[in-house]
Amino acid sequence: MSERPSPSNAPALGDAPEARARLVPRWWARYSSTSPITLTVLALVLGVVIGAFIIMLTSAPVLNSWRHSFHHFGSFAGTLKLTFDTVAAAYRAMVTGSILDPTLFFHSLSTGNGWDQTLTPISETLTYATPLVIASIGVGIAFQTGIFNIGANGQAILGAIAGTAVASMIHLPMFLHLPFTLVAGIIGGAVCGMVPGVLKAYTGAHEVIVTLMFNYVVNAILIYALTSTALQLPGQSNDISRNFDSTATLNPLFGTKSGLRVSYGIFVAAAVVVFAVWFLKRSSLGFDFRITGANPNAARASGINPKTIVLAVFLVSGGLSGLAGIVQAASTTHYIDGGFLVGSAGIGFTAITIALLGRLQPIGIVWGSLLFAALGVGGRAMQAATGIPLDLATIIQSVVVLFVASPVLITEIFRLRSGAESFQLANKGWGS
Amino acid sequence: MTTLDTTVVVAEPPRVRAPVGRRRVIGALTIVLGLFVMLAFGLGSVAGAHSQFTFTPVNTSSGAPWNLAPLTVLTRWWNLGLGLVTVALGVETWVRRPAGALVRFGVGGVLFFIALLLWACREPGPSPVSSLNFTSVLIGSLSIAMVLIYGSLSGVLCERSGVVNIAIEGQFIGGALAGAMVDSVTNSFWLAALVGILVGALVGWLLALLAVRYLADQIIIGVVLVTLMSSVSSYLNIQVLAPYPNLNVGNQPSNVAIPLLSKIPIVGPVLFNETMFFYVAVLLVALISFGLFRTRWGLRVRSVGEHPKAAESVGINVARVRYSTVMLGGAVAGLGGVAFIAVQGQFQPGITSGLGYIALAAMIFGKWKPSGAVVASILFGVSAYLVDALQNENVPIPTEFMTMFPYLVTIAVVAGLIGRVRPPANDGVPYKRD
Repeated sequence: MSERPSPSNAPALGDAPEARARLVPRWWARYSSTSPITLTVLALVLGVVIGAFIIMLTSAPVLNSWRHSFHHFGSFAGTLKLTFDTVAAAYRAMVTGSILDPTLFFHSLSTGNGWDQTLTPISETLTYATPLVIASIGVGIAFQTGIFNIGANGQAILGAIAGTAVASMIHLPMFLHLPFTLVAGIIGGAVCGMVPGVLKAYTGAHEVIVTLMFNYVVNAILIYALTSTALQLPGQSNDISRNFDSTATLNPLFGTKSGLRVSYGIFVAAAVVVFAVWFLKRSSLGFDFRITGANPNAARASGINPKTIVLAVFLVSGGLSGLAGIVQAASTTHYIDGGFLVGSAGIGFTAITIALLGRLQPIGIVWGSLLFAALGVGGRAMQAATGIPLDLATIIQSVVVLFVASPVLITEIFRLRSGAESFQLANKGWGS
Repeated sequence: MTTLDTTVVVAEPPRVRAPVGRRRVIGALTIVLGLFVMLAFGLGSVAGAHSQFTFTPVNTSSGAPWNLAPLTVLTRWWNLGLGLVTVALGVETWVRRPAGALVRFGVGGVLFFIALLLWACREPGPSPVSSLNFTSVLIGSLSIAMVLIYGSLSGVLCERSGVVNIAIEGQFIGGALAGAMVDSVTNSFWLAALVGILVGALVGWLLALLAVRYLADQIIIGVVLVTLMSSVSSYLNIQVLAPYPNLNVGNQPSNVAIPLLSKIPIVGPVLFNETMFFYVAVLLVALISFGLFRTRWGLRVRSVGEHPKAAESVGINVARVRYSTVMLGGAVAGLGGVAFIAVQGQFQPGITSGLGYIALAAMIFGKWKPSGAVVASILFGVSAYLVDALQNENVPIPTEFMTMFPYLVTIAVVAGLIGRVRPPANDGVPYKRD
């Protein structure tokens, strides 16, 4: 190979201790076992560092200051300070905008007022994280079975369409209407998931291709449903749906007056987490899923029908994605429009990356969703405060996932002790 | 590894599908297509309605030696006739089950396309325009098809070497952004193309680095690379392009007319009066199909994608071949991005709007072959252009169903409903030396 040998082939640490000792401090070498958490934290660090460089290289004042310093051989200290301040201001806005602003917090603490404003960032983060948790767990369960569900976005949209139809066109008391709406979302997503499921089980069509293509089919179905069916808001020519009945919405936890958007949806997400933990660890179907994912041949040999598993996986995964879609609509907008979960607003690809970030485990996925939601919400706050585009948050997210997906790269960059096998998602092409 | 594979094959013999049954399906589909044409486009237009096609492109004063006069036809009867021919083709396919079933289906598709155009521009009809410029439709379709050809060729290259390239969209975005900026500064599309190639190859290198060297999952890497490129482009658009509009002026390259050939009616303006990007695309198709199937390099690329272990045992450096091919593929897609921005003018975030995924679909629909990819690209290019054109002319049909078309036929092909595809055996499987 033209490349350097991979760490697993590389000489072990003990082979050249003096060479290693010069490169890295001893305490680091001792500390640096490659646990998944270490890898994720390091990936996040790399993402933040790369983000910082992007901010520096695209900020006109910073660049001008550097140019000035180089031309006049001086004021490097001022330039460095400006650079640092620019980056720090961006990241400070990101943190205070997504978690807690200490100034506001102490103000609220001392005066007892303004709690709404203080808690808004964390409430927004939780609001964004809610559908992400649900969809990512759906994707994660499929991944654990060795099935790549790239179509979570389409399933979420179809779930939202079905749920919106129930929520806005049927009128029931709340204790029936809300469950019906959520169940309709699950069914919508499951139906959408069944298409690749059935095709894979009965024709062998590769699920990655089918789900990927189906995302775009569903986008078109969404526009059709919102412009040419009874779902469209009466009297409108735009692609916008009817509004949810007030009996079918997931209301804000602290009432509508508080202005905090965090809703009862987080209990739905919590229920999904509990379900997923139980399902994967305790249920027999979940056991079959994991066996199939670990070794399909062994699973088949032990009498597990692969067709049933494929169909069941897509039912569960699609259903959860559909639930994510309807929770998103029912807890925030209370209607859907043509841009719902389309393009950069989509949660499907984010769910894939979060599932990877959380090592496919429900609890890990909760942390991953909170992180990504915080980055998204913080990016918005950063754009408002400093003018740096919120896309920086997406860039950081992508970089983090690129590193998490290739753990060997991190172990090389940080010269960790070899531990590449700590986590590597089973590779899945469409050739095999 | 090898022994394991053998047992799997023995345990589950490869599914043998009777091609004859599939031809029946194709025949049935053709019949449905024809009936749809007769009902929707034939009987769906008023008895006295007529449609007019014109054939001289609007903006060309090429001084052709002879021009085609506008063609005016009675919409209902022509569409009934076109539908009847399609039905006849379908019946023939159903009964005789010939080897060329797909070709007949394709002819039915072309007739469908003509019938749709006739129906869309009928007078009296809902559309404000009373005639339709057939040549312009072809030119517009081909400009989209050209970009798809670049993208699907990139996919063919990468996947033949065993690396799944979902990041075509990302390479498009990178090429388009770089192309728009470089061309705005230097006013030269040659330089823009060069930089676009470099940016595409850079994305390809990143894909190869993570996929070949660090054994990361290629589908996830591809998806994330698209997200990365689209957020980078959106970021740069706000931070750089918005404050400096002279970096995004939106030049468009001038057409290069080939003498004599460009004077032929319809064919001339469509094929022989194009930008250089079109001619380069044609050249690339020829080069890549020759290279992949007639040269030693192509044999190496294909062997690495089909059976890397065997390839290595005869002394081929699998990683190096994959690196170089994926970077080459990235470069082709990057050039496609420049070609795209040359058609579109100014860069905006999200401007590629999933064209890279349609290119991916075209590559799969084209059975991982350059020639198939070209046919699929043209087909998808026509459908994508018609969606835009019909929406702009306020034709009251749900164009959403046409938007779905490329994806649905790709799913049908993957599922083996029409035709059958087989990807390279080790497509997407990272190769780890023992």
